[in-house]
Amino acid sequence: MDALFAIAGRDFVISVSDTSNARSIVRMKKNYDKTYKLSSHTLMSACGESGDIANFAEYIQGNVRLYSVRNSQDLSPSETANFIRNELASSLRSRNPYNVNMLVAGVDRNTGESSLYRIDYLAAMSKVPFAAHGYCAHFVYSVMDHEYKEDITLEQGFAIVKNCLKVLKERFIVDFPGFTIKVISSSGIREYSTDDI
Amino acid sequence: MEYNGSAIVAMVGKNCVAIAADKRLGQQALTVDMDFKKVFPMTDRAYIGLSGLATDVKTVHDTLRMRVNLYKHREERVIEPRTMAHMVSHMLYERRFGPYYIEPIIAGLDKDQKPFICGTDLIGCPNFPSDFVVTGTASDNLFGMCEALWEPDLEADDLFETISQALLNAVDRDAVSGWGAVVHVITPEGVITREIKNRMD
Amino acid sequence: MARRYDSRTTIFSPEGRLYQVEYAMEAISHAGTVIGILSKDGIVLAAERQATSNLLEQSIGSEKIYEMNDNVVAGVAGLTADANILINQSRIIAQRYLQKYDSPIPVEQLVRRLCDMKQGYTQFGGLRPFGVSFLCAGWDSAFGFQLYQSDPAGNYSSWKAACIGENFSNAQSILKQEYKDDDSEGSSSTAGTQMTMDDALKLTCLVLSKTIDTAKLTSEKLEFATITLKNNKPHIHIYTSDEIDQVLTKYDSVIKPSNND
Repeated sequence: MDALFAIAGRDFVISVSDTSNARSIVRMKKNYDKTYKLSSHTLMSACGESGDIANFAEYIQGNVRLYSVRNSQDLSPSETANFIRNELASSLRSRNPYNVNMLVAGVDRNTGESSLYRIDYLAAMSKVPFAAHGYCAHFVYSVMDHEYKEDITLEQGFAIVKNCLKVLKERFIVDFPGFTIKVISSSGIREYSTDDI
Repeated sequence: MEYNGSAIVAMVGKNCVAIAADKRLGQQALTVDMDFKKVFPMTDRAYIGLSGLATDVKTVHDTLRMRVNLYKHREERVIEPRTMAHMVSHMLYERRFGPYYIEPIIAGLDKDQKPFICGTDLIGCPNFPSDFVVTGTASDNLFGMCEALWEPDLEADDLFETISQALLNAVDRDAVSGWGAVVHVITPEGVITREIKNRMD
Repeated sequence: MARRYDSRTTIFSPEGRLYQVEYAMEAISHAGTVIGILSKDGIVLAAERQATSNLLEQSIGSEKIYEMNDNVVAGVAGLTADANILINQSRIIAQRYLQKYDSPIPVEQLVRRLCDMKQGYTQFGGLRPFGVSFLCAGWDSAFGFQLYQSDPAGNYSSWKAACIGENFSNAQSILKQEYKDDDSEGSSSTAGTQMTMDDALKLTCLVLSKTIDTAKLTSEKLEFATITLKNNKPHIHIYTSDEIDQVLTKYDSVIKPSNND
């Protein structure tokens, strides 16, 4: 029931996730941040089994930071995404696999280029211009397909996000308490409120 | 095998081979990516196409790349397509009782510039046909198209046309593959790679 | 006295020395010379093959210079048998990294992992250290071309020009004299050099002619390799004996005078 999607421009990625933490029909928390900062320019958002997410995300966060400390050099977004996929793929064939879907968004500090990776719970990974997970995907994919153009500006990106949120409000039976909107660009990660965009 | 959707085909021509694949990645009926790579160059002369479960496409490709590279460095020569086919077959059979859900096909030119194609099942049983191999969710359609269009000793240009038509018409009648295609024609002079547009529905 | 402290590698002598490690280094200083020279657009590696006999089957591949990965090539001084183990392990490490991160291993990380293996054998029970030093020439996107030297103790260091094996101190002083340094400061390791690939090859020939004790340099006793950039990707080239002869003829002028000394 989570809403998780992201849109990439040339040098930025907008990541959107809902703030509801629910188990079955009960909402546990309504200002829950589903994003995880992996490095100054890489952000991961996740949905799925909440225990798995907490454990897996912490493990990834720890290992990505360990790499930076050991090698005094950050992993690039593509290296980070491949590392995450690799860990998830090995867990997939273990006795108790993680059930986590992820979006990994980042900006390469050397080239300044943005990238967005979509990883599902089977560890199928694809590099895409826009992506979504969960039930919300059925709604927002059509909006993004319709409105996305190559090399959109941040404002145009926000306009698409607004329309996605509008469709979710209008057509999806789940009422979300709020959304975390974060933009990853060469200057780092910045959070926006739904009113800002 | 049907979860992500795929269609890959390889054909033998006169002193050349071609391998082509669609570009869709889906989660059942939902299309997630329209530019997903399923065919990979393992050497300058040998390509592998992996159909089936997308996670295993990547896992098998990465593992095979590791083995092919180690082979290259240890043997100080580039692997032959036939050797690589046996390497793949062995790699898949290692997982006999917990297989990778993929069906690979291999296409390449050997050291005498002779065309080579090979397909295996998910646990690595190889077959070496002399005309064409197909794999993926559209494989039934591909069989029909190839059976109708393929003829012996096609030149590189004609082979490109034949394989493209076979693939495009096969994926049009398959709900979970298509969304663009990529074709590689491997000739002694080099590899010609072309992207093809087709119906996006 | 020394006997009591060198039967096991793990024990320090009263003077604070590890004899087995020092003996290993001593063994290397009698091994065939290996030279590495960094230039603006690549690195040259050259190695001497010792004790060739006309009865010996010339192996098809090289025996002193090996590709560790698509972006790292290494020259070996010391026990070839020991080196083979380490090279094999390094290749596996490099490929595991590629599988895990889908990008080639940074040169320093590979060298560090290699040296961690060497270090392990200077500390853990009853085993002999690896009797090899390496010169690793590599390229990565973060730091460009890099040249590393490693010793049996597991130390490594980065150089613009380096030499290991027989007569290494002699060679190093020539390198120090002849190497054209750039005084302007730069961030990448190759910013500090004025050498071109031609200069590097020429200097390599000069040093080889002065350090190798032979009447005439021939391709039979030498191995050459370069790493350069081709289409923005590292390209390793290990020279065939014909190509080595061509290099030697080209720089004949620098080689000849030394023979008269």
